[in-house]
Amino acid sequence: MEEYFSYTAKLFDPTRVNEKPEVFKGLRVLDFTHVIFGPTASRILATYGAEVIKLELPFYGDLWRPATYWGRYWKHSNPIWHFVTQNKYFVSLDLKRPEAKELIYRMAKDADIVLENFAPGTAEAWGVGYSSLSEINPKIIYLSCSTYGQYGPMRYFPGWDLLAQAASGVLSLNGFPETDRYYKLPDYLGDFVPGNMAALVLCMAIYYRNKSGKGQYLDLSQTDSMIRLLPHFTYHSVTGETLGRTGHHDPAMIAASIFKTRDGKFLGLACATEKQFHGLCRAMGKEALLQDKRFSDYFEALKEENAEALRAIVGDWIREKDCDEIVGLATETGFAAAEVATDKVICDDEWRRERGSVILFNDEMYGELALAGPSARLSKTPGRTKWLARPLGYHNRLVLMKFLGLSEQDLENLEKKKVIGTFDDRPGLKPPLYYHLDKDPVYNYGREVKR
Amino acid sequence: MSLFTKKSKEKVYTRYSSGGANISVWRETVEKLQTPEGRPEVLDDIVVLDASAGNFSGIIAASFFAEFGAEVIKIESAKGDPCRKMTPYGRNVKGVGIPFMMEGRNKRYMTLDLEGSKEDRETFAALARKAAVVIETFPAGKMDSWGIGYRQLSEKNPGLVYIAITPYGQYTKKAREFVNFPDTDITTQTGSGLSAQIGDFQTEPEPYSWPLKAGMWMGWYVTGISAALGGTLALLHRQSTGEGQMIDVAGMDAYSSMTGFPASIGYTWDKPRPRIGVLDFILYPYSHWKCKDGLVAIAAPRDHDFRALLKILHRWDLEDDFKFTPDRIPDIIEQAMTLHREIEKETVKYTAEELTTKALTYAFKAARSKWRGGGVPIVMGVMTPERTMKNRQWEVRKSFKEVEDESVGTFVVTSGFVKMSESPPRIKWVSCDIGKDDEYIKIKYLQERCGG
Repeated sequence: MEEYFSYTAKLFDPTRVNEKPEVFKGLRVLDFTHVIFGPTASRILATYGAEVIKLELPFYGDLWRPATYWGRYWKHSNPIWHFVTQNKYFVSLDLKRPEAKELIYRMAKDADIVLENFAPGTAEAWGVGYSSLSEINPKIIYLSCSTYGQYGPMRYFPGWDLLAQAASGVLSLNGFPETDRYYKLPDYLGDFVPGNMAALVLCMAIYYRNKSGKGQYLDLSQTDSMIRLLPHFTYHSVTGETLGRTGHHDPAMIAASIFKTRDGKFLGLACATEKQFHGLCRAMGKEALLQDKRFSDYFEALKEENAEALRAIVGDWIREKDCDEIVGLATETGFAAAEVATDKVICDDEWRRERGSVILFNDEMYGELALAGPSARLSKTPGRTKWLARPLGYHNRLVLMKFLGLSEQDLENLEKKKVIGTFDDRPGLKPPLYYHLDKDPVYNYGREVKR
Repeated sequence: MSLFTKKSKEKVYTRYSSGGANISVWRETVEKLQTPEGRPEVLDDIVVLDASAGNFSGIIAASFFAEFGAEVIKIESAKGDPCRKMTPYGRNVKGVGIPFMMEGRNKRYMTLDLEGSKEDRETFAALARKAAVVIETFPAGKMDSWGIGYRQLSEKNPGLVYIAITPYGQYTKKAREFVNFPDTDITTQTGSGLSAQIGDFQTEPEPYSWPLKAGMWMGWYVTGISAALGGTLALLHRQSTGEGQMIDVAGMDAYSSMTGFPASIGYTWDKPRPRIGVLDFILYPYSHWKCKDGLVAIAAPRDHDFRALLKILHRWDLEDDFKFTPDRIPDIIEQAMTLHREIEKETVKYTAEELTTKALTYAFKAARSKWRGGGVPIVMGVMTPERTMKNRQWEVRKSFKEVEDESVGTFVVTSGFVKMSESPPRIKWVSCDIGKDDEYIKIKYLQERCGG
């Protein structure tokens, strides 16, 4: 039999991804969502082949288009917006106009999935909620994303990732006990995690529809999603105590903490099993610890005072070693240790490049950009990147003419009435300065262009 | 359902008034969302084998399948999965740790010694012929060397979805080199880029200046969700073609692949971001402050939201210096921290609830006023999990469920994270004794092997 790693290298070969089939080929998604939570769900569908039509307000667009980290743009675009909007079709129409609503209703006839993350009640009030669209298309799967959910006393409260972190208890858990140092989870994890869970529940709804022929309505709140991840409620109900903040430590595993090494680096270290703890003791040359009553049993070693004593011993040992040395010993004797990786380290990491976890994507409009690969590698139907974000309204002509069969005259009328429109001259909305939109056959779909 | 009582006038601004296009459909839909029991289950036609060991992300992935109705069989040795012991401060009930109790939802438990017994591996292979999904977390290639890897199992069961979770994946040079490297939550957090961005300014005293970890298993949950998502995508492909496939999830991808920030920022900025404590790279105000009764989180990053916040806090004097987003984003840390401290001077005067009410009232008026520009400062008290549990919102939404089990007793678990009108997830039981379903599984799935 072929050697395992050479077999898997062929099975997952990143260079062959584009030759393979897509799970969601032909699946059509109407996407009213903005910022991160909803767009992450539709991004995942698009990564696996769905046609996601992203609907934005003409001239303004998605709130997150211009909002880049520290106000730094890349080719007049928000560099981190490309990841959540890859492979989407960008259509801009003003939902408040009855003509726009007509277009939505026509698109809803053939759509499989609709997503929205307006403040609860808004989609219904505007006549594009589940009650309206399911009448047009009873098989539709409709997901409403919100911070607190579509029912309950807080349903109309506005929210963002931060508020979900606050309301779920997550924000109160990061930081140092007995200090006033609390930190939110960075980079909008309160959006990204629920966004991935949203993609998961949409997959479930599609699976169910394939079996039963039935569409349905889904109500996913980001606070509910974050709550799902915490063992703290169970802990409290069993012990009557609060777990609170635990600083650098993981109180559920042996010697688990973040440590500083001799060369000034930081690493996470942990022993998930007794066997791994044996490995760590061997690496430290302190096998005697295994006989120590305090650490001889897993539960015993986790008791607060014992855990503290053990972390002190391990910390002293690590302080005398360089980071690479520890990681080397970890692989040798079988415990877990990994350096704190920064953006730059992750972006340049050889392993991630080889694996396809960081992809250098070459886009027709923006050129080269490093993007994260999909979280899971599927051997037969892998996710892939086809294009990056596009200027506001970039696919108006393509979608409205090709999918809905509108004529040049129809488009002109809609544009005149500002039902549809493109971008204002603002970074995040407009194309890069060097790019000639007038020569772009997609933007100018249905018109003659000279390339 | 209070949503439809005409008398209760909303004090919170909403565009929703008497109803959308079809109030009766909407009413019926919301009512359906509230009771998962008695409705069909999505995955009631599949069997999932969870052979993960010592790695919670496998258990978490299996939980999602179980919540959606799959028959999930947890396979472990007679000693039990080491995950049973991973629990804060060693707190346990009869040898079962808290996280294991929490994730032990709707599962069957079977003892098989995959590491030590050839016969048990054969039993596993026989079970895998009837399974739709296998989840495992052994070192890459280990199951293969035992004759029960994807290669062998898919020969007999071409529709099998095989999910393998490891720190560095199933292929590449490094995966081979680090093949015996174990997966833990904390190394997944540090190795995938989360820890680098959480924690205080590097100018603070040690150890506050160090990179920090999230106060929950964020690495393992992200990995588990990714595995469940990948597996469900593969189930959809299987549903339409009958074809299975292998899914490779690497723990070290967790944070970086979920947010995409490290790759793209590392590339465009070409240097690591610093840690900025309570600040945010894009938005400000988007943080938390002390208030009379604890902490309060406030998001008012858009210019008109910020103006509204200043009005509420009676600090219009700050408007001139911090009028526009670029004035507030923390590329000049000191400037942002000045504003942060000024805001805190005001927030300490109120309770979190007072501030929330002030913000909601302002937004309510602003939305109807042409002068106020529709500003919506968004405010929420920072809850501890214990306070969250008591919040009426989650009581109404049944986000927590008290469960009872003969052996582990009565306790609370999180439940029904998504509400679905037709096929919602649910928790049916939580018992998790080692080998409790050995007989059941033999009778149901292994009759021919037992000669029955």
